Amino acid sequence: MDITAWNWEVMTPEFIILGTATILSLIDLFMPDDRDRRFLGILGLLGVIAAGFYVIKFAGAEPVQIMNDMFRLDSFGTAFKLIFLTGVALLFILSIQYLNRQNQEVQYRGEFFYLVLTALLGMMIMASSADLITLFVGLEVLSVSSYILVGIRKKHLYSNESAFKYVVSGAIATAITLYGMSFIYGITGTTNLYDIAERLASAYQQGFSLMIYLGFFLMLVGLSFKIAVVPYHMWAPDVYQGAPTPVTAFLSVLSKAAGFAIIIRIFLSVFRSIVNYQSDAGSFYVLFQELNLYIAILAAASMIIGNTLALRQTNIKRLMAYSSIAQAGYILVPLVTFWGINFFSQTLFYLVAYLFMTLGAFAVIMVVTTDRGTEDIRSFAGLYHRSPFTAIAMTIFLLSLAGIPITAGFFGKFYIFMSSVLYENYWLAAVMMGTSIISYIYYFGIIRQMYMRPGDTEARLAVPLPAAFVIAVGVLGTVAVGLFPDLVLNYLNQNLQFTDMFARP
Amino acid sequence: MPLYTNNYVLVTIFLFLGILLPVAALTFGRFLRPNNLYPEKQTTYESGVEPTGESWIQFNVKYYIYALLFVIFDVETIFLYPWAVAYDKLGLFALIEMLIFIVLLIIGLIYAWKKKVLEWK
Amino acid sequence: MSEALSQVPLTSYLLVGLILFSVGLYGALTKRNAVIVLLSIELMLNAVNINLVAFAKHGLYPGITGQIFSLFTITIAAAEVAVGVAILMALYRNRGTVQVDKMDLMKR
Repeated sequence: MDITAWNWEVMTPEFIILGTATILSLIDLFMPDDRDRRFLGILGLLGVIAAGFYVIKFAGAEPVQIMNDMFRLDSFGTAFKLIFLTGVALLFILSIQYLNRQNQEVQYRGEFFYLVLTALLGMMIMASSADLITLFVGLEVLSVSSYILVGIRKKHLYSNESAFKYVVSGAIATAITLYGMSFIYGITGTTNLYDIAERLASAYQQGFSLMIYLGFFLMLVGLSFKIAVVPYHMWAPDVYQGAPTPVTAFLSVLSKAAGFAIIIRIFLSVFRSIVNYQSDAGSFYVLFQELNLYIAILAAASMIIGNTLALRQTNIKRLMAYSSIAQAGYILVPLVTFWGINFFSQTLFYLVAYLFMTLGAFAVIMVVTTDRGTEDIRSFAGLYHRSPFTAIAMTIFLLSLAGIPITAGFFGKFYIFMSSVLYENYWLAAVMMGTSIISYIYYFGIIRQMYMRPGDTEARLAVPLPAAFVIAVGVLGTVAVGLFPDLVLNYLNQNLQFTDMFARP
Repeated sequence: MPLYTNNYVLVTIFLFLGILLPVAALTFGRFLRPNNLYPEKQTTYESGVEPTGESWIQFNVKYYIYALLFVIFDVETIFLYPWAVAYDKLGLFALIEMLIFIVLLIIGLIYAWKKKVLEWK
Repeated sequence: MSEALSQVPLTSYLLVGLILFSVGLYGALTKRNAVIVLLSIELMLNAVNINLVAFAKHGLYPGITGQIFSLFTITIAAAEVAVGVAILMALYRNRGTVQVDKMDLMKR
């Protein structure tokens, strides 16, 4: 075992992010208090871009793993890392705008930037490891950073309260996840996902199915906290409302994508191999025919609860929270109907679409709510007359979230819907269709405010340059992905061999 | 399995001994000591300072910050133990890795120092 | 004595873990004092440690991994609760309460 002989180069993106975060924290510490800290955001942005360069450079290569699978570079991880890095880059631009000199709410600006970077590090570890311990440490690096980010407005009552709620619900979720992991460890004696997969199959034959089910359900419930689907969604509205808007965008897009990365990685590689032999029914794969039913129930419940409760909301960030619960339900559907290699491209396509439309929507929400000083939906009234381009951009994001054609959201939903129908999972497809129609009511409610309701003021809304950039990128992404969905799908399928997730070099 | 049930017998014996010992000691003491009560003897601290106020008082919040710092740095040293145990097999590379780990911890300490957590105002 | 102790079946340890976990979950969901809520969460995490260490000794495949896992759990639990207490202190300075049922500003 020669540690120096390992291919440490594959960890370059992670090292860059770690180094940038460390340097930013030191610069921030030794800089006079009254200096403008926004250039830290630009430094962080450069670090993210450098990391992205290396991720793209390593893309498409054969899977590499070092440290006994504790770190694993494969196409699955690369795709998720690209989503994270794009999201964080846009978020940094948005935050540089948010943390301007007028904003006195956030006193700890340097901390804001490097906590986003440490959270990013956690997410990248979550996406590219094949070991339960490392995955768990990544999950916690993300969690602990985001607890602080939610509470970063130290004097703000809502921010304090939502941060505490987030810590408590997050820590309970961690404990539940770990309790599940301990059972899986107990019957396999290893934390390596591939070894677990092998030994779990034999443990199932030996009659330890109860412990496997226990581990599966506890981990499902615990991890559903990160993606805010049904058994663990109650924190989302309060935390989304209390967090600063860029952090809300972070939680709703990036933290959620990382949650999906860890859920897909663990469930597909650990529970995939369990085969049940029955004398009358022959053999079947337990995960894909038995356990998937429970994931389907969670997905359906998230769609129903998220979309119906969103109808009653008057606060825009709470509404987006319920909307994101429903969106997470949609993204779970491909996992239920795991159907060949298309599964990965369907999920990732929706995540890419979701990234652009949600970040764009939050950029608009940030501009409008800071301008009006309220987070009520009525702050959007008359937006079309105040700033037509912002209103049109927001309309595109909302149409995409609702799943109206020629937007990215439509194709994302369409592929997921078709996979559900092809798999003959008609009831789930029906729930998805029905709840999508319900969602039109509240999405169109905002659009109606923007075009048809008279606002309190007719003054032109000045959109600052960084926010305008993020909105423009969001519109471009949403429309381009919506017009040419094949381009994205082809890129994903040609450059990234997702099935190498199951291969162990 | 019989060995396992023997454990419970042991536990029961210990339980009985544990109850018996203080009871016996106190009973003996009661017979041996002179019984001469007067008011000073019944105060909480005989020949000490009388306690005043309520027992549920608020501690200064600074203690909590110290406690937090202590907990973090105390617990992080846990990772030094497995490294020290396997030091001979891991060699120089692990030493460098551990140094990086400790440097990161020191940055945490510098953070606490610059944020004036270590000062008692 | 140690010979006798190793005869204690795995289920006893798991039972202790389960009881700790349930007590912790109950406390975390029902207690009104925020500090007690954080303490209850620690109980849940310690239940995990008991499970891991018991499995490392008496599991189907005994090994050292479980003990290493529990080291990570301990440190991360400490970090998590430290952040929790820090946020609670900020909350207390602004609102003057640690009662969980008073934290209802966002309820309509």
